[in-house]
Amino acid sequence: MSLRVLNPNAQVLNKSEALHMTINAAKGLQDVLKTNLGPKGTIKMLVGGAGDLKLTKDGNTLLKEMQIQNPTAIMIARTAVAQDDTSGDGTTSTVLFIGELMKQSERCIDEGTHPRFLVDGFDVAKRACLDFLEKFKTPVVIGEEPDRDTLKMIARTTLRTKLYEGLADQLTDIVVNAVLCISKPDEPIDLFMVEIMHMRHKFDVDTRLVEGLVLDHGSRHPDMKRRAENCYILTCNVSLEYEKSEINAGFFYSNAEQREKMVAAERRQVDERVKRIIELKNKVCAGGDKNFVVINQKGIDPPSLDLLARAGIIALRRAKRRNMERLVLACGGEAVNSVDDLTEDCLGWAGLVYEHVLGEEKYTFVENVKNPRSCTILIKGPNDHTIAQIKDAVRDGLRSVKNTIEDEAVVLGAGAFEVAAKKHLIDNVKKTVKGRAQLGVEAFAEALLVIPKTLAENSGLDTQDVIVSLQNEHDRGLVVGLNHHSGEPIDPQMEGIFDNYSVKRQIINSGPIIASQLLLVDEVIRAGRNMRKPT
Amino acid sequence: MREAVTVQVGGFANFVGSHFWNFQDELLGLADDPGADPVFRTAALDLDVLYRAGETQQGVATYCPRLVSVGSRGSLGSLSSSGTLGSSSSAADQPNIFTWSGNVTKSVAKPHERNLFLQSLSEGESNPSSSNGRNNARENIEDKDLVENLENGVIFWTDYSKVQYHPQSLYELYGSWTDFDKFDNYGTAKEVVSEWSQMEEMNERLRFFVEECDHIQGIQFLVDDSGGFASVAAQFLESIADDYTNTPVMLYCVRNPDSSGSSRNQRETIIRSLHDAVSLSKLSYSCNLMVPIGLPSLSYLSPLLSIKDDKHFHSSAICAAAIHSLSVPFRLQHVGPATDSAHSSGKLDIGELVHILSDQGRQNMITALDVAMPAPSLTDRKDLRNIQRSLHSLTPEISNNDEDPYAVESLVVHGALDAGGKRASISQVKDAIRSGLEGRETKPKFSHLSVSPCPLPIPLPFPSIFSGSIGQQGEILSNSHPEGSRPKGSLDVVSVPMAARLRSSSAIVPFIERRSTSLQRLGVARGTLGSQVLRDWGFGKEEVEDMGEHLAKMLRPFYPEMDLTSDSDDLVSVSL
Ligand SMILES: Nc1ncnc2c1ncn2[C@@H]1O[C@H](COP(=O)(O)OP(=O)(O)OP(=O)(O)O)[C@@H](O)[C@H]1O
Ligand SMILES: [Mg+2]
Repeated sequence: MSLRVLNPNAQVLNKSEALHMTINAAKGLQDVLKTNLGPKGTIKMLVGGAGDLKLTKDGNTLLKEMQIQNPTAIMIARTAVAQDDTSGDGTTSTVLFIGELMKQSERCIDEGTHPRFLVDGFDVAKRACLDFLEKFKTPVVIGEEPDRDTLKMIARTTLRTKLYEGLADQLTDIVVNAVLCISKPDEPIDLFMVEIMHMRHKFDVDTRLVEGLVLDHGSRHPDMKRRAENCYILTCNVSLEYEKSEINAGFFYSNAEQREKMVAAERRQVDERVKRIIELKNKVCAGGDKNFVVINQKGIDPPSLDLLARAGIIALRRAKRRNMERLVLACGGEAVNSVDDLTEDCLGWAGLVYEHVLGEEKYTFVENVKNPRSCTILIKGPNDHTIAQIKDAVRDGLRSVKNTIEDEAVVLGAGAFEVAAKKHLIDNVKKTVKGRAQLGVEAFAEALLVIPKTLAENSGLDTQDVIVSLQNEHDRGLVVGLNHHSGEPIDPQMEGIFDNYSVKRQIINSGPIIASQLLLVDEVIRAGRNMRKPT
Repeated sequence: MREAVTVQVGGFANFVGSHFWNFQDELLGLADDPGADPVFRTAALDLDVLYRAGETQQGVATYCPRLVSVGSRGSLGSLSSSGTLGSSSSAADQPNIFTWSGNVTKSVAKPHERNLFLQSLSEGESNPSSSNGRNNARENIEDKDLVENLENGVIFWTDYSKVQYHPQSLYELYGSWTDFDKFDNYGTAKEVVSEWSQMEEMNERLRFFVEECDHIQGIQFLVDDSGGFASVAAQFLESIADDYTNTPVMLYCVRNPDSSGSSRNQRETIIRSLHDAVSLSKLSYSCNLMVPIGLPSLSYLSPLLSIKDDKHFHSSAICAAAIHSLSVPFRLQHVGPATDSAHSSGKLDIGELVHILSDQGRQNMITALDVAMPAPSLTDRKDLRNIQRSLHSLTPEISNNDEDPYAVESLVVHGALDAGGKRASISQVKDAIRSGLEGRETKPKFSHLSVSPCPLPIPLPFPSIFSGSIGQQGEILSNSHPEGSRPKGSLDVVSVPMAARLRSSSAIVPFIERRSTSLQRLGVARGTLGSQVLRDWGFGKEEVEDMGEHLAKMLRPFYPEMDLTSDSDDLVSVSL
């Protein structure tokens, strides 16, 4: 037990006390997150000590906001957050599932079963459950042009668990289109190529997809146009400011004349670079109604801005690094690091570039681009906490679409999978196991039901009734989930309620691993800081 | 004017920063105040260097520090993270939830009370012309109550801040389930730093301020490097170096007196030593000049001061004063071929300062900071209190040996007094310093001097850290200091003359050497507790070796003989 050596202050409890403490912690966390689950869950408003507000309806954000000290709870929280990191969803379900596995185990342990048997049973059940998922999942044909309707259904299911229906539905098309914009056949989807930008707007909850890019800054010269059509876009990372080279700090010159000379020489170099850009502009824009926009990652100082403005060029400085990549994907051309070999091929294109000003905040829209491979979701909200919550939801939505494309499958939601898997475990798997490990399979199967049960509970329905009627339908061979309005069985396929395959898979996989670790811990180290991250 | 951007990372750095900005805020007020000492108008420092003009969405003009402050969740006390501008806290009372039509639960953390000082500030804002009898109880509160309240009750750095911060300025780090009270070594920050979106957010905030600058002169970066924030800062500095390649970064590593603590056991001692070594190596890697600040105790620093070590409010004040002094040359107004005028002398920008100190003598970028607070007046011809000799080092673990012919230094004197409490002229100060320099046995290779008549203003929320023998203008009262008289603060002292100096000299060798040795001794040998600790912090063998090499390299300029065989192009020959 090296853990104990590391921390002499830790208090060691005896086995049974320890186990109950662990189970209680797991149940405690489950209780906190329970009300979050599903389209009828509760949104939580957290008010900080200085009056700061936070709104959240997702397990991930809530867990991160919580001040958890109990080592068991931290371990579960970490698993859940890791779940979110890899698949972007299912945090709440993970916590509930682990809590329920512990709760079911407690019953058996109180009746004298050694945790070892339960753990063996979990293992069998887990593998069987994963196999079952493989058969149960609904394949989605992706191919060249993915089926938009399926993608919309999955996005809508996810978004409606975070935002009210109207808003969720408005966002559904946006997230689907955003992912389709950036995805290429047979290449991994990089969601960073969807920029998420926000604007505060007093009475507005509005979000739109910009095919192109929105930058959170504007040009810095009064004479530059605020709006231009038919624009060449030069994306570059070239210093257009005079940087007094440090070696030549003023007072080390033997005289002022020498100093002036050096300054002039350096200024000339910068001007030269600006001139190259202007030359290219003059060449490509000659005689037409075309415009020229420079978006630079480095600085551009006022004299350079002057020169550019006089040449009719719009210039932005200090663009964020990631926007270099996005710009090229949105507008075409390439990001150049030097102006030495500028040609027309380096340039991208946008039909419209314009500036939008809100107080001291400026935004530059680069829109109407050809074949964009990068886009921007622009969120408007009346205040920071609303914006933050919509942002979280948008991220979840994007992830669900990406997962679907990569999984090439989805899973029937609204508890349908959990009820079906439970039935499979009890009917077919339990009997393949000898002895007390059967109890583990049973506990696992029962624990799966925490999802439909909680969905029912959050909808204000009678849990027992709902579970019985769902199970009856399944016994009749109908795969159903619950209608969160009435509690009646529904066909999730018809209703378009789908969850991500990879999310479900990960929940089934990680839940029993953590539960087993917790059950087999002999001693609880109370000081807690040395608990390892589960792998 | 060339802009500077300030970054503060970690607990004590924000304490220091809070005082620093209070000084600037005070200068702003004094420059407009006809009743104030005219020197604050005639020799005003250019605050545009540190501040930005902007407006709120409602179109109200604002003037805020160009600052990114990073602290742990909860370290802002009663200040909202959106700064004092912008949104009001009443949003919490009438929560309109625009995004969800289902159930809502609200969980409210215990609100942080605003202390008397902050209350008086917000009252001043809401009704500058005092109201009609409503707040009678409040009106009886006098400045001395506020001062006393602060002396005894500062918990957060925001408790004594009178500055309006921009909504982009204050960033709270969250470490999911990281106990920020135990954020005490390099390793504890691993998770916080690996949370990618947090680095991204910090970078974005900084970019907001840099993008506005027409001609940024540099970044002054304060970090509390006594614990996990060293790691946060190292990461931040690295991306700054990537994003703003030619922008010089001046790094102050500030620690409060008790931060090194007394280690309870061998393991803790090892962790401490390794933390110090790793921090030095990592932090120095991506900045241009580094100034370690943080004596184990400040109580005996000077007989003219009375600093309580256990009060961050106290100890941060002197660090802030010294950093303010060092920033004076960046903000001197006058530029001209002679770099001289009646109002100031020795204007420098950050890049120039970095260049003087790290390139003109040895290639050494770790400098020691000395401060005289207050600086003695020039009248004392007997040289007992010459300015240079009154300087006390704030940098720990340096050698007292001042005899380095290769030393390079930059001295700032501002607000110095002459006979009878008159402000000394620029040339008087220069003469005095020059003669002080003559008096030194070993002269530094190069010494730069910046002078301004503008003293350090003492704002109301400044702690009572002056001894009884300090007068209203910060003059040292010769015969009138009965022993044991109570410490003086902002009610008695209006301004103080200051001197501060950065020294690049061999005095810093023990500081570096100690860290270099600990890394070699504790961290490199396999299978030891130390190497285990480093592994837990996420450092592989090669990275540890790189860090060791980096530290060794910093020592090399001080031992040129060792360098004869190795790559000698590290050394740049200097002609002066
Ligand atoms: N319209 C619906 N009717 C019934 N159940 C639904 C419906 N939409 C979603 N669900 C179910 O809600 C569950 C997901 O809820 P939710 O998104 O709140 O939690 P989570 O994904 O586990 O965690 P989180 O999203 O907080 O990381 C899934 O089991 C899903 O099948
Ligand atoms: Mg979800």
